Amino acid sequence: MKRYRKRILAVLLIGTMVLSLAGCNRSSSDAGNQVKKDFYYVPEYHDLELASDYIGETAVVGNTLYLYGSSWNEETGESINSMYQYDFLSGQSSELPVDFDGNDSVQQMCEDSEGNIVMIMSRYAPSVLEDAAGTEDADQQDDDSTGAEDNDEADETSGESVALSKKTVAGSVISEEDAADEGTYEAVEYTSYIELWKINSEDGSTIVKTDIKPVFEDADNAYVQYMTIDNEDNVYLSDGNSNIYVLDKDGNKICTISVENWVENLFATKEGKVFMRTWGNNGMAVKPVDIQKKSLGEDVTSENLNGNGNSYNQNYYKGLEKGILGSDNNGVFIYDFETDVREDLFSWLDADINSDEVSEIGQLSDGRIWAILRDYSEEKTKYSLVYLTKTPASEVPQKEELLFGTMWLNQNVRKSIIDFNKSNAKYHISVKEYSTDDYMTGLTQFNNDITSGNGPDIIDISDIDYKQYVSKGVLENLYPYMEKDGINKEDYLMNVLKAYEVDGKLYGIVPQFYITTTIAKASKVGDTPGWTLNEMLDFVEHSEAENIFQYGSRESIFYYCIYNNIDEFIDWETGECRFNGDDFIRVLEFANKFPEEIDYNSDEGISSKLRSDKVLLMQTSISSVQEYQMMNGLFGEKTTYIGYPNSERKGNLIQPTNGSVALNAKSKNKDGAWEFIKILLSDDYQNSLVSEWGSSWGFPLKKSALDKQFEKDMTPEYYEDENGNQVEQMKTSWGYDDFNMDIYAATQEEIDAVKEIITSAEKTSGSVNEELTNIITEETGAFFKGQKSAKDTADIIQNRIQIYVKENS
Amino acid sequence: MKKRKNPKTEGLKVDRGSAGKKNKRAFKGKLISWGYLFPSLAGVLLFFVLPFFVVIYYSMVDNPINNQFVFLDNFVKVATNKAFQQAAYNTMKFSAVAVPLAVILSLLLAMMLECKIPFRSQFRTFFLSPMMVPVASVILIWQVLFHYNGIVNDFTGLFGADKVDWLKSSHAQVVIVILFLWKNLGYNMILFMAALSSIPKDILEVAVLESATPLQIFWHIKIRYLSSTILFVTIMSLINSFKVFREIYLLTGNYPYDSIYMMQHFMNNAFGQLDYQKLSAAAIMMSMVMVILIGILFLTENYFGKDVEG
Amino acid sequence: MKKRMDIPERIKREDKSKVKKRKKFRQRRLFVKTAIITMIAACFAVLFLMPIVLTVTNSFMSASEISSNYGQVFATTDTGGKTYISEKVNLKFIPDMVSFSQYITVLFKSPEYLFKFWNSVILVVPIVVFQLLVAALAAYGFTRYRGRIKEIIFFVYIILMLMPYQVTLVPNYLVSDWLNILDTRWAIWLPGIFSPFAVFLFTKYMRRIPISVMEAAQIDGAGEWQIFRRICMPLCKGAMCSVAILIFIDYWNMVEQPLILLSDSEQHPLSVFLSKINEGEVGLAFAVATIYMVPPILVFLYGEDYLVEGITYQGGIKG
Repeated sequence: MKRYRKRILAVLLIGTMVLSLAGCNRSSSDAGNQVKKDFYYVPEYHDLELASDYIGETAVVGNTLYLYGSSWNEETGESINSMYQYDFLSGQSSELPVDFDGNDSVQQMCEDSEGNIVMIMSRYAPSVLEDAAGTEDADQQDDDSTGAEDNDEADETSGESVALSKKTVAGSVISEEDAADEGTYEAVEYTSYIELWKINSEDGSTIVKTDIKPVFEDADNAYVQYMTIDNEDNVYLSDGNSNIYVLDKDGNKICTISVENWVENLFATKEGKVFMRTWGNNGMAVKPVDIQKKSLGEDVTSENLNGNGNSYNQNYYKGLEKGILGSDNNGVFIYDFETDVREDLFSWLDADINSDEVSEIGQLSDGRIWAILRDYSEEKTKYSLVYLTKTPASEVPQKEELLFGTMWLNQNVRKSIIDFNKSNAKYHISVKEYSTDDYMTGLTQFNNDITSGNGPDIIDISDIDYKQYVSKGVLENLYPYMEKDGINKEDYLMNVLKAYEVDGKLYGIVPQFYITTTIAKASKVGDTPGWTLNEMLDFVEHSEAENIFQYGSRESIFYYCIYNNIDEFIDWETGECRFNGDDFIRVLEFANKFPEEIDYNSDEGISSKLRSDKVLLMQTSISSVQEYQMMNGLFGEKTTYIGYPNSERKGNLIQPTNGSVALNAKSKNKDGAWEFIKILLSDDYQNSLVSEWGSSWGFPLKKSALDKQFEKDMTPEYYEDENGNQVEQMKTSWGYDDFNMDIYAATQEEIDAVKEIITSAEKTSGSVNEELTNIITEETGAFFKGQKSAKDTADIIQNRIQIYVKENS
Repeated sequence: MKKRKNPKTEGLKVDRGSAGKKNKRAFKGKLISWGYLFPSLAGVLLFFVLPFFVVIYYSMVDNPINNQFVFLDNFVKVATNKAFQQAAYNTMKFSAVAVPLAVILSLLLAMMLECKIPFRSQFRTFFLSPMMVPVASVILIWQVLFHYNGIVNDFTGLFGADKVDWLKSSHAQVVIVILFLWKNLGYNMILFMAALSSIPKDILEVAVLESATPLQIFWHIKIRYLSSTILFVTIMSLINSFKVFREIYLLTGNYPYDSIYMMQHFMNNAFGQLDYQKLSAAAIMMSMVMVILIGILFLTENYFGKDVEG
Repeated sequence: MKKRMDIPERIKREDKSKVKKRKKFRQRRLFVKTAIITMIAACFAVLFLMPIVLTVTNSFMSASEISSNYGQVFATTDTGGKTYISEKVNLKFIPDMVSFSQYITVLFKSPEYLFKFWNSVILVVPIVVFQLLVAALAAYGFTRYRGRIKEIIFFVYIILMLMPYQVTLVPNYLVSDWLNILDTRWAIWLPGIFSPFAVFLFTKYMRRIPISVMEAAQIDGAGEWQIFRRICMPLCKGAMCSVAILIFIDYWNMVEQPLILLSDSEQHPLSVFLSKINEGEVGLAFAVATIYMVPPILVFLYGEDYLVEGITYQGGIKG
């Protein structure tokens, strides 16, 4: 008996070890980013040369891809709809004759088990007003249709957005805003129809065509965003609200299932089960849709399916052999609901594909993955089809690997990396994103990597306190690299470079930046930017405004006063803090006068409040000349970019738009890493940041590019009026809250002012240590709730921060 | 001990003829005994001792990236760091207060339970129960008790006392000492109970007969017999006094009120900031203090242990 | 031992009458004394038991009751003024209404807790078992053929055992990195298995076994393995259990190691997870803590007698 027991124990133990070992292996391969992979998915691009401007929904029958495309015909004011057939194997495309009308558009499309194509068709047709008494009704109707179309615009993947929004221009919006002015306009009523079509995928002939508008709860606004079909050919629809509508294969309604939150996706598995995705209590939740019980099942909470917190853009398609084929911003995977097994196929980055461009994916019977990519960067959206073939690593030409480490990968940076990978024959950059779970864990992981010598070659320092790393010798001085390559630092904005200097050495490069600041009326604070904390407090206390900011809560005002001015309270040289001094207590008591909770539903907008001096300051950022122009208009008089309160009166802060990069001093491949950084400094890249109407949210670092930007901003645009005169035309229109303004070419004066703001910024923003903010937040919380006196609070903060400062001085 | 060794020497004397064989066997045994030691020794060397040399190395370079040799600079820097001084002072103060308290109180508890009171074994179990409470619920409950709005303040408020922010004032150390005692008294107590029960009854009876006062009995007999247990309990309490950092940390974070800022905070923060030199220098200094401390305890035991039969 | 027993018996025989007289007088005093001591012990017991009882009873409260009781302490952001928070903190032992909602959430709705619980088991059980094994062998090595070198090594073990975890933090991390086991469970297991703590306790215990016993066995022709297996191990059973309980409880509550050595939070044990959920979901924390207490309590109840027995022989530091 005893022996028996021991054996059982031994077996159990071995079992535990083996189990946990299995766990280990998986995680170790996850964690090691630089581990060589056995297989790669190699992309092969094909242009989708289709006649339509816009390509929307797809369906796949066998090895044939069906695409719905549409173009807008300016002359007829109708869209040209087409259905294309694309043979994956031969690469041949042809048009399938489907009986479309000019007002039709396909909202969703999906294949059924018999190989037919099911489409949800919407049509807007001019309708005859039933009786004259319906004027108000008509207005109502108008609003409704506008709403529906807004919906469309938000969802840019949908086929109709182009077509419908143009209709919007022709229809309701103008009728609301301009009808009064023009007087000549006659409103046209549109009525929407929603139909379910089933067509034969061989010849395009219609099998079923039925009106399903009555199915929807809010039928006039219904826009089917998600659709899927199970193995019994039942059709599941959702209009993005909180209902799922189930129809049988002939389009007859089976049931409506209501969901607590908005439906975010609907998809079917290979096994025939249908699932929906919605926001649950802990982020995204996937629940099975049960038409027998007419309800939703229990959450599928597996992290294997939902991925980590950093996953977005998720799309799920029926799997080839099992479960689903899933795609998100990170990559493509296969997930089996039955066994909760996830198989990651590849990451988009590894395949040099920008996941933002991916619109549809699928898997072919030979295992290849296909994806349709959209490239918005050109004026006309470019579509391409890419096949990804699994290739053994030995057959893939190996490049030297570089690692790019960041807390969160910025989309533009990702694009730069992909471009670099595509064009550079020698190096390949992979990305390690640290803060997928939470910031602190990510930071710890990053620190561990740095110290153990496995740190990334290129480091995105925009979310970390880079000075700490400089003092540890982690970062490389970039000036010698610039000199070596003949890049003259005088060609760049010296003050911005200086902000990333320590002792005359450059540790980071911000290719593009904006300035965070505070704006006040020049008549009140004078012309010179910069003020100290006490000056700011004096100013506010001597005025009789309702609030400093539009939404100034106790906490936000307190943070505003302290966080960009923390060095005023800490002397790092001597290790002394002054948090229990009068200044700090003054700030606490000052902030405490403001409301704890803010009413965000105030009727009065910011502009009106600022103009009437109910609100004194505006905390904002400025990323373009147009924004500056708009701010002047918003205030209604001359403004001063006075900045955050700061003891040196340098309160305009530099903030990277698209990350800032640094070079790891321990990198084994500094030259390769520099190759990448160099691109960000190049004319090509810097000039690409020059934008129309301030749409790139920042100023380029290079002086020449900035000058080009200014030049562009100053160049007026003209149109010819009916008399043949050149009249200056507005460049764009900017709005903020209750204020809207047409922006024309900037004057030299405005450009100079912006230049002055840019050059006044000498510090980077957001480098307050998290430990300090944690302590302050924790302690002030009790004060703002009225539990402790300002003095006590200040004393505790002083005590705790003193320890921090002592430790680090 | 001496008595017990006798049979061995006698055996050797008797068996003189086979002494050579014995020696050989002893040598073989010795070798084998090292074999038993080997797995643990290898593991300890690999995971604790060898890396410790790296720590020494770290403590003497300027940083792990450049690896410039700076000899004692780091030690000077750390020793003059005000936070380090504060941490060292707090840690010593805490250990100096908490460890003796833990020893004395648990001895008192043990003696209480020695008396023939009802529910003895239940009491024993109750006193041990804090060992099982997960750290996280300890934290929860301590917060409920000692928070500014907590129970303790409510209670003292009944007597008109002012609210005290227990965890964020100079009282914090009291709270931590209480927590430490609460967690560790039980285990220490049963160590003492075991030791008390192994004091030979005859000696006590004789003492009673000879009209010794209870104090004399306690002082001259019990403490004598308990001396080695006292040392053991001291060591265990010392270990646990370092472990209480876990609770302090979870209660108050990286930078608590300065009265409970411990050596471990200093090192933990240094690790968080990648400051391995600082951490290493502090760790080595702490180790040296420990070596001295344990050395003293060893000597004390040698001194006391001689005239008591264990 | 037998010899000593003789003394009291002799006394009894000689002074029976004397003792009887004294006894009566003593009995009354004893009663008062016992009562007082019992009272004091009871007070202490209440204080000691309170947290455990509080944890268990509060786990049966609904989330709203918890937040109304402790809102002042754990001001959570999600209350948003909607829920009632009492002015003062209420320390309640008996729920207003017994609710299993917390348990239902923990056990059925969010399997992550059970998942982490399993993580805890996977991390702790191998450490306990193998640390005991390694330590038993090592202790035997320390016990047999003691010499100067071994004493020094043993001293080093004691020093290592005393070091706060923060001191061994860097070494631990470095070695895990060299061995390429960082972020795997091995990084927790291996240092745990080779921790000197159990070696120390075992050695102290084993050294108390009279050498004569082992000598005798040796003379009878037993090999070292037999002595270890047939003599030392059975005698050490109590110590085994007591050390096992101590190690188990210690590692069951580990927080620092997984945080530093396992970057993947999926592998973290429940103890780490538990210390993180405190802030947001206090109610859940009680339920999870109660569940988390079950294994230590089982281990403890099973081995309590051994714990005492095992400890009996421990004393001193050198052994």
